[in-house]
Amino acid sequence: MTYRVWGRAALAFGAAAMLGTASATAGGTLVIGMTAGDLPVTTGNPDQGFEGYRFVGYNLYDSLVLWDLSGAGDKAAEIRPGLATGWQIDEADNKRWIFTLRQGVKWHDGCPFTADDVIWNFGYTSDEKAPQFNPAQFGQARAYFGTYAGVEKIDDYRVAFTTKVPDALFPYMMSYVLMVSPCRAKEVKYDWTAYAAKPSGTGPYKFDKAVAHQRMEFVPNADYWDKARVPQHDRLVLVPMPEASTRTAALLSGLVNWIEAPSPDAIERLKSSGMKVVTRVYPHNWSYQLNFVKGPFTDKRVRQAANYALNREDIKDLLNGLMLEEYATVPPSTAYYGKPLLYKYDPDKARSLLKEAGCLPCKVTFAISTSGSGQMQPLPMNELVKSQMDAAGFEVKLDAMDWNALLQVGRGGVDASPDIHAINISRASQDPFNALIRHVWTGAWAPKGANWGHHGNPAMDKLIDGILGEFDSAKRLALLTRLHEMMNEEAALIFVAHDLNPRAMSPKVQGFVQAQSWFQDLTPVKVVP
Amino acid sequence: MPDTLAIDEPLGSFDEQAAPATRVRGYWQSVFYRLRHDPVTLFFAAMVLSIVLAAICAPLIAPFDPYRESIVGRLKPFGWRDHALGTDELGRDMLTRLLYGGRVSLLMGVVPVVVASLIGGMLGVLAGFVGGRVNTAIMRTMDVFYAFPSVLLAVAIAGAMGGGMVNGMLALTLVFIPPMCRVAETATTQVRALDFIEAARASGAGALTIIRYHVLGNVLGPVFIYASSLVSVSILLASGLSFLGLGVRPPLPDWGLMLSTLRQSIYVVPLVCALPGVAIFITSICCNLVSDGLRAAMDVRM
Amino acid sequence: MGGYILRRMLYAIPIAFGVSVVCFSLVYLAPGDPLQTVLPPDATAETIEIVKRAYGFDKPLPVQFLIWLGRVLTGDFGMSIATKRPVFLEVTGALANTGTLALFAVPIAFSIGYAMGALAGSFPGRWIDRVVTGTAVFGVSLPNYWLGIVLVIVFAVEWMVLPATGMGPSGSDEFRILRWSDAKFLVLPVVTLSMIPIGILSRTTRAAVAEVRNQDFVQTLRAKGLSEWAVTRHVLKNSLPQVMAVMGLQFGYLLGGSILVETVFTWPGSGFLLSKAIINRDVPVLQGTILTLSMVFVATNLIVDLLQSLVDPRIRRG
Repeated sequence: MTYRVWGRAALAFGAAAMLGTASATAGGTLVIGMTAGDLPVTTGNPDQGFEGYRFVGYNLYDSLVLWDLSGAGDKAAEIRPGLATGWQIDEADNKRWIFTLRQGVKWHDGCPFTADDVIWNFGYTSDEKAPQFNPAQFGQARAYFGTYAGVEKIDDYRVAFTTKVPDALFPYMMSYVLMVSPCRAKEVKYDWTAYAAKPSGTGPYKFDKAVAHQRMEFVPNADYWDKARVPQHDRLVLVPMPEASTRTAALLSGLVNWIEAPSPDAIERLKSSGMKVVTRVYPHNWSYQLNFVKGPFTDKRVRQAANYALNREDIKDLLNGLMLEEYATVPPSTAYYGKPLLYKYDPDKARSLLKEAGCLPCKVTFAISTSGSGQMQPLPMNELVKSQMDAAGFEVKLDAMDWNALLQVGRGGVDASPDIHAINISRASQDPFNALIRHVWTGAWAPKGANWGHHGNPAMDKLIDGILGEFDSAKRLALLTRLHEMMNEEAALIFVAHDLNPRAMSPKVQGFVQAQSWFQDLTPVKVVP
Repeated sequence: MPDTLAIDEPLGSFDEQAAPATRVRGYWQSVFYRLRHDPVTLFFAAMVLSIVLAAICAPLIAPFDPYRESIVGRLKPFGWRDHALGTDELGRDMLTRLLYGGRVSLLMGVVPVVVASLIGGMLGVLAGFVGGRVNTAIMRTMDVFYAFPSVLLAVAIAGAMGGGMVNGMLALTLVFIPPMCRVAETATTQVRALDFIEAARASGAGALTIIRYHVLGNVLGPVFIYASSLVSVSILLASGLSFLGLGVRPPLPDWGLMLSTLRQSIYVVPLVCALPGVAIFITSICCNLVSDGLRAAMDVRM
Repeated sequence: MGGYILRRMLYAIPIAFGVSVVCFSLVYLAPGDPLQTVLPPDATAETIEIVKRAYGFDKPLPVQFLIWLGRVLTGDFGMSIATKRPVFLEVTGALANTGTLALFAVPIAFSIGYAMGALAGSFPGRWIDRVVTGTAVFGVSLPNYWLGIVLVIVFAVEWMVLPATGMGPSGSDEFRILRWSDAKFLVLPVVTLSMIPIGILSRTTRAAVAEVRNQDFVQTLRAKGLSEWAVTRHVLKNSLPQVMAVMGLQFGYLLGGSILVETVFTWPGSGFLLSKAIINRDVPVLQGTILTLSMVFVATNLIVDLLQSLVDPRIRRG
């Protein structure tokens, strides 16, 4: 049993074995190599960031409000009815939202979906005293509960949510809260480890099996309430592969037939082997949040100078074209983009602004990560940004740390890290609150929210209050547009890049339409033999 | 845990029980004689020396700035526009990065070994010479650390402390102290049992004098040999730590780190991406061969 | 003899305790929250406090250590923060997977290494000696993770004869060694992992054999008229103890040091578990893995010690 024998056997049988691995069923098996470092949890709101939602969360479960992931049209994805068929604000009390639930929906375990289940789920994620309370889920879901104050049952198919302050954007938050089956939870007597091995939701996929850390397998839910979205393939397999080169090798060698985020340098090789590479802009924001309390960026001229200093075309070349130059908070295909003031590449203007502001050379420290979900290629990109800013009169110091350490710095806010002047955490700008408001609102100052640098502008705050209280969507759109334009006037962020959501797949994978969203609809995909 | 090996020692090398001072001098002379007539070891020693010199003189001989990037000129093959060894993923010259990276990698290879030799050596001599409770205390503590496989310990310490060059060197030092201590303790125990130590004690010499004149000479040999064999291990371990993201941080050039960052670009310029591995390999193999030659010359059994 | 065995085994207990203290404190060397990674980036500091309380991380360190030690002794290693599965399951599962690698790497590496070294040591200075020594130095000087990457590119991507990553097409649960479709996943990792032990063992064996050959008793044997082959057998037997010590260390290396190879090949073993636990700051898994690996290493060395003293009664420790 020496290596020499195996080696010759390998060469002889390897080719034959490779040929014999094709699945013999109609819809095929979709095997996805994810960037996640581990399998997302199946106990409701997933971990592993939005990739967890993309592959596990929205596949096993639904929320009251879902996203339109059909990819149709040229605008960013918007919300649509999910387990709730409609929602409106209570005429008498604008802190009360009434959601009408969908009828005839069954959980994977057969129990019917009713209003009691919704109440139970909010106890699951937020009520420390409820028997079904799950501390891990509390951590996962709480981030989306901003203004949530409580929920009550009106009748079997209607519930009413109360918010702390009037919140016109509340339905968006509800799209991130997934519903878990109380029937199954009670069946396993609230043992969440046991539940994780047999989860039950209302989603288009049913859980089949999982090998810890290695793979998770789903099968279609033939009884899904949305007949148009019953999966067309026979099986979905998820494999965690955090290393980009491993993903590339796995796709090229046939081990998987779909990979997320291939490394830009591997694209040529993938294409020449016949793989399809799909990209589409989506609400992703790779930028720097700034320190508005201490340091050079408290001066608007310095912020503008930083934006003028960047040659975003060059950064795009670094990524082999896999990005959209970012000049504003959201991509131009967003409904509330408007006509913001754009800071096009002008290093001389940058230098003169710095001179005017009396900061030349301007010493700044950036906190960055070495990797991370949504961070794209953080090290090369940051080094390029540094060299471009240095050339325009800054002196940038990069403080590199691992992803979790950076997230920790982000949560702590400027008070915890006063000597950091900018922080590079990529953001999802999928809904208006997360896109605009949380960066600039005084109500979201870290550690309470995501406004790391404690940006505060009374005019913006007033506008935001107006947005949150404006329940007419057309009027709200105008206000949001104004807010977006104000953020550019203020140079509230250093705008760098919008990721293009690249993924590579085997030519046998067909039917996929990429939506302008962090989430994707896998159900129409067929894998031909 | 295995501590001192008590295999019967052939008395060959200690046959001439002449006055210790003359014996030691004669021993070193024969070492140099053997080295001088070993062309292979001399050749590789010269290689190591040139690698070290090249690294030290990197600012003088490197053709480019190791931090200067060029988006247009990224991932170019050998010989492109004066870049003899191509460019990396940010357009920086590979030859320059390798030279500067050598400084970091060699530093991470040598410093932990030197520090561990000093600390471990002192502890071992102390334990071996004093014996008794002190010996037990020191050696049992070392045994606890010996219970961890070295890579595991290095990764665990570096990982726990959050990575970085200094933490990596600290982790490696801690990993190397127990074996150095054990080597020194073994050598000291062996010497201490010999007759001439008794004689020296009988003639009234103090402990420190005995250590200085009789023990150190015999301990230095094995410690030095073991240390020289550890250098290549240290370089490999350090590059492994950086590869895992637990060692040197970017944008500092370091061979292990460069292997990791270039891994994704292997489809574009495979030969350029292989270079840091080649550098590690050449340095490591030269150190190993020199260490082997030294061991043969010093004819020391461990 | 029995007394010696007993003494050596009892001796392992304080070592084990020391290891557990080191294990536990290692994890707390670093600043930062163990829970950060599990929570979404948007989680506020208040949320974290609540979750921290729920997991018991708010108690003082010595108390946490004693609680942990008490649980460990009853086999309860706690729950993984990342996956909420019992750490015991995680560690034993991962260890079994690394064990599969070692199952192949150990016999291959040890037999090839010993054979090479014995050959070289028996003919010192001749061409076979040089070839073996050269190969051995080669194996010890190459960064093995780099070799792994190169092997993947050549065999998996370019020639497509062996798989690039993972443990079997359906994961480790359904891994059957006798099925080629599963076993082919072993080939590249085992080759990569064996490289260093082969190098080290051939060097050690060569040195041990060469040294034993120089001893007086060998001359005596020859003078008594024994054939060269019989003499060689005696030489090999006498050189075995030294080599065994190194084999024990190498086994430990294979168990604990497989982290680099497992990272390159995404092999779900203990090394991979460890690197993920470090990144995630999954404290219970970190402690459990390091403790288990060290205990296995301690046990291995104990067994090697005992075997050595059986082979050569002159060797006694402690």
